Amino acid sequence: MTTKPSSRLAAFFANQRGALIALLLLALLPFIVGLFDGASLAAVWVNGSGQSKFIQGLAIEIIILSIYALSFDVIFGITGMLSFGHSMFFAVGAYLTGISIKSFELGLPATLGIVFAAAIVQALLFGVVLPRVKGITFALVTLGIASVFHIVVMSSELGKYTGADVGLQGMVVPAFISPANERLRFYFIALTILALVYLLYKRFVDSPTGRVCIAIRENEGRARMLGYNTFYFKLAALTLSSFTAALAGMMHALYQPIVSPNVAGMGFTVTALLIVLIGGVGSLEGALVGALVYRLLDFGLRRYIGESASFINGAIYVVFVLFVPYGIVGTWRLKSFQIKQGWARMTGWLTGKPSSEDSAR
Amino acid sequence: MNTDIIFETKNLTKAFGALVAVDDVSIKVRKNSLHAIIGPNGAGKTTFFNLLSGNIEPTSGRVIFKGRDITHQPVHRTIHFGIGRSFQITNIFPNLTVFENIRLASQALGRDNFKFWANSSRFKLYEERAWNVIERVGLKERAYAPARTLPHGDQRKLELGMILAPDPEVLLLDEPTAGMAAEQVPELIALIQEIQKAGDKTVMLVEHNMNVVMSVSDAITVMHQGKVLAEGAPSQIAVNKEVQTAYLGGLYELNV
Repeated sequence: MTTKPSSRLAAFFANQRGALIALLLLALLPFIVGLFDGASLAAVWVNGSGQSKFIQGLAIEIIILSIYALSFDVIFGITGMLSFGHSMFFAVGAYLTGISIKSFELGLPATLGIVFAAAIVQALLFGVVLPRVKGITFALVTLGIASVFHIVVMSSELGKYTGADVGLQGMVVPAFISPANERLRFYFIALTILALVYLLYKRFVDSPTGRVCIAIRENEGRARMLGYNTFYFKLAALTLSSFTAALAGMMHALYQPIVSPNVAGMGFTVTALLIVLIGGVGSLEGALVGALVYRLLDFGLRRYIGESASFINGAIYVVFVLFVPYGIVGTWRLKSFQIKQGWARMTGWLTGKPSSEDSAR
Repeated sequence: MNTDIIFETKNLTKAFGALVAVDDVSIKVRKNSLHAIIGPNGAGKTTFFNLLSGNIEPTSGRVIFKGRDITHQPVHRTIHFGIGRSFQITNIFPNLTVFENIRLASQALGRDNFKFWANSSRFKLYEERAWNVIERVGLKERAYAPARTLPHGDQRKLELGMILAPDPEVLLLDEPTAGMAAEQVPELIALIQEIQKAGDKTVMLVEHNMNVVMSVSDAITVMHQGKVLAEGAPSQIAVNKEVQTAYLGGLYELNV
C-alpha cells in the first residue's frame, strides 16, 4: 500500500460516518434516557433502577437480535443460501453457555472456547450437505438438522443439563457482568461486540471472499465456470455465520439468564428471516434496522394490544413483503416505494394470476 | 504453423436417455489455430462444448488437454487448466457492475480468494487486468453500470471479457455473435481474430454465420446429428458434397 495508515484511517472514518454517529448515540443512550427520567448521571452510572436501566435492557435485547440477524443475512442475503435451521446456530451457543456455567461451573473464557469450538462443528455439519443440495432442498435439510437438535434439547433424558421443555434455568452469571447489578457494563460490552461484529462483516462483504459469495448469490453456475470452487466459499460464509450466531446465543444466555427451548425452534429462524426482510435483504445495515423495528414493534404491540399482537404483527409483515420488498434500507436507497407494484402483486396472489413483474423475474 | 495438438477428444459420447447428443466424436485441435465447429441446429455443438469445458460428464470417451486427461475434472478446474468458455445464452452476474463481473473473473486465478479481512480494492493486479479487458472489449463507458442494464450486444462483449480476464490459452466461444446486430458482428469477429493472433491463443468457435466461419477459420469440423460429418480447411469444407446437402443446402458458394 502506498497510502499512509493515518489517511486510510481518516478515509475509514469518513466512510463510516453514519455508523459512528449511531454508535456514539447508543453509547450516550443510557445517560440521555436517565436525564429525561430525572435521574442523575451518577445514579445511571451505578445502575440505579429507573427508566434508563429498563431501556438498557431493551437495547441489549435488540443488540443480541441484531447480531443474530447479521449472522443470518451473511448466508441468506449475501451468499444466497436459505437456511431454515438457523436458530440452531444461536441455540447451540445459548445452551452450551448455560450448561458449561451451570453444570460444569466453568469460567467465561473456557465457555467462550467451548461455544466457538461448537460453532465450527455445526458449520461443518451444515457444510456436509452443501455440495449435494441447493435452494429449497438446502432449506429443508437444514430444517431437518435443526429439528433434531430441538428434539434433543427438549428430551427428558437430557433434562438434567438442558431443563428439557422448561428451559435451562438457575445459572449464575459471573458477578462482574451480572445483567441485574452491572447492566450498564453489560450494555457497553454488548455494544462493543456489535460494533466489532458489524465491522468484521463490513470487511467480509468487501473482501475477495465476500465478493465471490455475492457472485454465488447472483449466479452460482457462472461463479463455478469462472474457476471458483463455490463449496469453500459457502462453507466460509456458514462458518462466519455460525460463529456470530453462537456468540449472540451466548450473550442471550448470559443476559436472560435462562434459555428457553423456543430459541432452538423454527419460530426463531423465522424471526431472523423477518428481521432481514424488514430491514432489507443483503444489506448489513438492514439487519440492524430490522432488529430494532422488529423488537420495538413486538414490544409495543404486546404492551398495548396484548395476546392478539402476533396477529397484527403478522399482518404488518405481509404488508412489508408486498409493498416494501427491498426492506427499509433498500427502499431508502432506491428512494421509491412500491405502492402500485404492491397492489399488482396482491391482486395477483388473490386472483391466482402473477403480476407481469413477478413472472418476468 | 505450429502443428502441436493442444486439445483432443477420443470417441466422446454423450447420451441423454435415448437421445445421443454427441456420438463418438474424435477431433484434434491444433495449437494457435482458430477451429470452428459448425452444423445445423441440434447437431450437438453446445453439448460438445459442455463436455470440453466440464459442464457435463460424457457417457463415454475422453477429453485430453495438452496430453492430460481432463474428462472427469469438475467444472471449476477448467479455467485453471487454461480453458475459458463463453456461453451462447448470456451468462453473467446481472446485478453486479460490468467492472465487478470482469474483476471477479480475473480474481479467480489468484491466491487471494480467502483473504476475508482485506478489502478487494487492495488487490490492484486484478483491478488492472479487469480495466485492460474492459478497454479491449470496448465497455469503458459502461464500466459501472449494472450488467443487466446493458444492451444485448454489450452483454455479449462482457461475456467475452469475462473469459479474457483470466487469460486462458484456449477460448471456447459458443456463438459469440448470437443475437447481435449485424453491424456489430464484424467488430467482434475482428476482436476475436486479433486476440487469437496477438496472444498465441487457440480459439474454438461455434458459429452460424457462414461468411464469418469461412473467412476466419483455420480448420472446420462439421457436426450433424451428434456425429462428425466432415473435417478440414474451409476450402475443403465448402466444396464437400456431403456437407453441402446436409447443412449448406447447396446454396453456399465460396467466394474466394
